[in-house]
Amino acid sequence: MTIDPEQAIPLEQIELSVHEAASPAEPGKARDAAFWAPNVTRLTVDADRAAAGFNVAGKRVTGPQQGFGRLWQRTYTVKLGSSVSPQQLITEWKDHFGDFWPKGNRFHGLLITPGEVAPIAVNTGAGMKLSTGVLVLYADDESFTFMTPQGHMFAGWITFSGFADGAGTTAQIQVLIRPNDPIYELGWFVMRRMEDRFWKATMVNVAAHVGVPNAVVEEHTNLVDKHRIWRNAGNVWHNAAIRSVLHLLSAPIRRIRRGRAH
Amino acid sequence: MTSKCEATVRTVGNLSVVSLSGEVDGSAAHVLSAAYEQAAADGPPAVLLDFAAVDYINSTGIALIVSVLAKARSEGRRVVASGLSDHYRLIFDITRLSDFIQLYADVDSAASGINEGAPA
Repeated sequence: MTIDPEQAIPLEQIELSVHEAASPAEPGKARDAAFWAPNVTRLTVDADRAAAGFNVAGKRVTGPQQGFGRLWQRTYTVKLGSSVSPQQLITEWKDHFGDFWPKGNRFHGLLITPGEVAPIAVNTGAGMKLSTGVLVLYADDESFTFMTPQGHMFAGWITFSGFADGAGTTAQIQVLIRPNDPIYELGWFVMRRMEDRFWKATMVNVAAHVGVPNAVVEEHTNLVDKHRIWRNAGNVWHNAAIRSVLHLLSAPIRRIRRGRAH
Repeated sequence: MTSKCEATVRTVGNLSVVSLSGEVDGSAAHVLSAAYEQAAADGPPAVLLDFAAVDYINSTGIALIVSVLAKARSEGRRVVASGLSDHYRLIFDITRLSDFIQLYADVDSAASGINEGAPA
């Protein structure tokens, strides 16, 4: 992906949009209420993105305790110095989220707002795209969090945040995940490397966009729970990798059916 | 990051109670982790996280709570919660945390509920 520095939004303009977005909480309502997605039993995908969301529509979201494998907390950070404030960083990250992803991957989200359901297509490197998605669980002006659906490689949350410390602003991606089923658990060490490449490339692109070229991304992994949750082994029924392959193989049949319908 | 979260630990019956106050967000990691370690030090069968004085939890805070839950599970210890407002009960539902953490109205009902094995 190429980021054109000319496209960068002036910082004053970003500051304005942050202030405009902030509004006081209604009396009697928690001040973070607007930041959370509404409670949904099953995910829905709008008609425009239905084709991309075939592995998402009708699925339930999965927190880390609904997955199968070991529970990992992985943290990627990159220091951005004083080039951008945490709020400016998050505004930019939300606005260009999919653009920062490595080439060959696709984020079909429209806006990073609470409750948004975004189909995604992940390049597996084996000549096949894995179709799944995310729910925007939480979004405020300094962070946003995705929650994964049944069938996704991982059950859990991915939080993108910016925070200030003595050295300026740091961008962070923190995932709290379990591989969703026994097949994904078997492939954990491959997926872990894929995830490293994916998020490190993403953060380098984010850093470049806010004026920090050649940024160095640090990664830290913590095994939170070494136990597998065997009662969730049946999650394999929803495995998005298997369903993506079946979807690909059945494409000719769908084309024939569509042709007959017309 | 300066934490706006505070925690105190005490024992009520079989429960080790962690009373949280302020804001549970990413900056609360050390406070929450240290409080859990203190609460678990004597090997209680269950740890209660009391949120009655908490006025803000963001998604990073929820992730911290899951980390505590996972650590307790790996040690064979139950984690229950009390004092959640209707709003945060809903958040626990949305994030599906309530599938795994028994919720009680307050510390007293948690203490009696744990003894009786009854839900809130």
